[in-house]
Amino acid sequence: MKRTTILAAASALAMVATGAMAQETLKIGALVTMSGAGASWGNGMKRAAELAAEDVNAAGGLEVGGTSYQVEIIAYDDSYKANEAVTAANRLVFEDKVKYIIGTVGSAPILAIQPITEENGVITMTLGFTAQALGADKQYTFRPNPTTAEVAQPQIDWIVRTQDVKTVGALFPKDETGEAIAKDLASAYEQAGATLAATEFFERDRVDFIPLLTRIIAQGVDAIELDGNSPVTAGQIVQQARDLGFEGVIIRTGGPATQEIVNVAGEAATEGMFVHSAFDPGLASAKAYEERYVETYNEPMNGFSPFFYDGTKMLFQAMQDAGTVEDTEAVKTAYENISDYDGILGTMNWTGGERYGIAHQLDSPFYIARVTGGQEEIVARCTSAGCE
Amino acid sequence: MSFLIAQSLINGVILGTLYLLMAIGFTLAFGVMRIVNFAHGEFYMIGAFCALIGVTWLGLPYPVTLALTIVFAILMGAVVERLVFRPFRNDELSGMIASLGLAMILQHGALILFGPDPQAFPAMVSGVFKWGALIVPKSRALALGIGLVILLIFYLFLMHTRHGRALRALVQDQEVAAVFGVRLEIMYPLGLGLGIALAAVAGGLMAPLFGVSPFIGATPLLKAFIVVILGGLGSIPGAALAAILLGLIESFTSSFISASAADIVTFALVIGVLLVRPAGLLGRAEA
Repeated sequence: MKRTTILAAASALAMVATGAMAQETLKIGALVTMSGAGASWGNGMKRAAELAAEDVNAAGGLEVGGTSYQVEIIAYDDSYKANEAVTAANRLVFEDKVKYIIGTVGSAPILAIQPITEENGVITMTLGFTAQALGADKQYTFRPNPTTAEVAQPQIDWIVRTQDVKTVGALFPKDETGEAIAKDLASAYEQAGATLAATEFFERDRVDFIPLLTRIIAQGVDAIELDGNSPVTAGQIVQQARDLGFEGVIIRTGGPATQEIVNVAGEAATEGMFVHSAFDPGLASAKAYEERYVETYNEPMNGFSPFFYDGTKMLFQAMQDAGTVEDTEAVKTAYENISDYDGILGTMNWTGGERYGIAHQLDSPFYIARVTGGQEEIVARCTSAGCE
Repeated sequence: MSFLIAQSLINGVILGTLYLLMAIGFTLAFGVMRIVNFAHGEFYMIGAFCALIGVTWLGLPYPVTLALTIVFAILMGAVVERLVFRPFRNDELSGMIASLGLAMILQHGALILFGPDPQAFPAMVSGVFKWGALIVPKSRALALGIGLVILLIFYLFLMHTRHGRALRALVQDQEVAAVFGVRLEIMYPLGLGLGIALAAVAGGLMAPLFGVSPFIGATPLLKAFIVVILGGLGSIPGAALAAILLGLIESFTSSFISASAADIVTFALVIGVLLVRPAGLLGRAEA
């Protein structure tokens, strides 16, 4: 009797031991911008991955194919530069041996690292707005956030219609992201019946926009568009445009950044600004995520962060569906097959087959908000079909 | 068109004055100590953070904050001279490399203390002065006004006080100055301290216009460098001329051609001046 008890205890112990041994580590790279003007996006993405990892780790690990994984996030800074992104990508893929990368923030960096990641079957989740980031030849790249191409038209239609805007001026950074957005916006405004009359391109580290704004305002534009600029730069443009006495409409068609813009430009300068928002504070899950973010990091949440939280959670689900973390081709297929995912921002689906040649572009609800007293107030609800 | 010309002129003069504040400190430190101080931009950044801490954390009035920033920067300059630059006093190259190291330490120190995200700086004044179609933002007028007052005080100090004369003597000839009783142990820290204080106060003045983050030092350092090269290393009148020239060139080319053309024109000018007058516009050729 006694012997059987000991045996049972020993085998129980052995089972616990094997269970513990099956607890492995799943490394996920975060190749984002953590310094310079794009740092608020990069931190938002990295922290989204960290919070998603925290969820599964707290629940005892991510169960995939009978093995439990503790998720570890390895973060590197690319300073929004293609060359630094390539160095970091080499390190992640060949030294750290990661198979999943959250990043990059910028368009030029994602295009620069794709030869490495696509070749080695590494799944990447980029924020980069360029249309070239996605394509039929880029099977492992996903974009878990809507870009200007998805959200611009319905929003611009609404603003041109309701605010009586005829001519628009805009400043864009002189790089792949800026050029892509300038092109998208010009055609979107034209289609809505207005013109993007004055555009200026500048180096990303510029802080003095007075000469460029002088030129734009001298052309008598009704509105200034901020899309394509980093949150901080957008804030400086708003502040300096108001400093120059610009009283027209200020619009930010894409990229959530309201909090940072208000921080930089102040409440008075941003009053009445129209912004794109992917975030409905009325949604309990979204609100809860924002509170958790602020509590954990003691900083305002960047608006892109929830997308990457959902994106990472969807990736975890894809691993579970595929039953593997090693075979990224199977995970990729499972990731593509996720539909009507119930995320913190609402129902998520993949789209983009027509526009990019591959359905790796996230489709989610979005809103137009008016900034009042430094806070967003939703004034219209949108889908890709239009805003009401 | 005439509106654009007049407006560009105003923008250019404002910009030039701000560059001047940066450049004078830079050229003074060089003139006195023969050190190309690559950490100069980081003192601009520290000045901006001092202003941020004074105004938003401690709730001090802006002028008091700026005055404290100047005092703090002079003291910091004295400490830096003693700890970092004194051992390299007769070794320009090593001094320059030490200043590069100092720049990295200061920038990353700020990164650790304050994080990478730009901090919001409340507007000190809002609104614009208007003459017809011409516009001067009050925020820039304030920076310009305080900057000019500081430059004037600095000019009076340099021209009409004993220490000021001693500094000028040092710039002209170190050995002769020492022979005539200029006390190097006081003048070196004072010269560097004043140079750094000018950078720091420029940072404090710019903070409400351009925001505050650990990375804001690089651009003003580059501008100061261009101004000083154009004007002639160690020459204060040369720096004044070059700063206004640079401000006007940037403003006019940005307003009439494009932002990147401004950079091309600026550097083309630097190369041109160096080819024709290697010592700068008003610089003295080294014997």
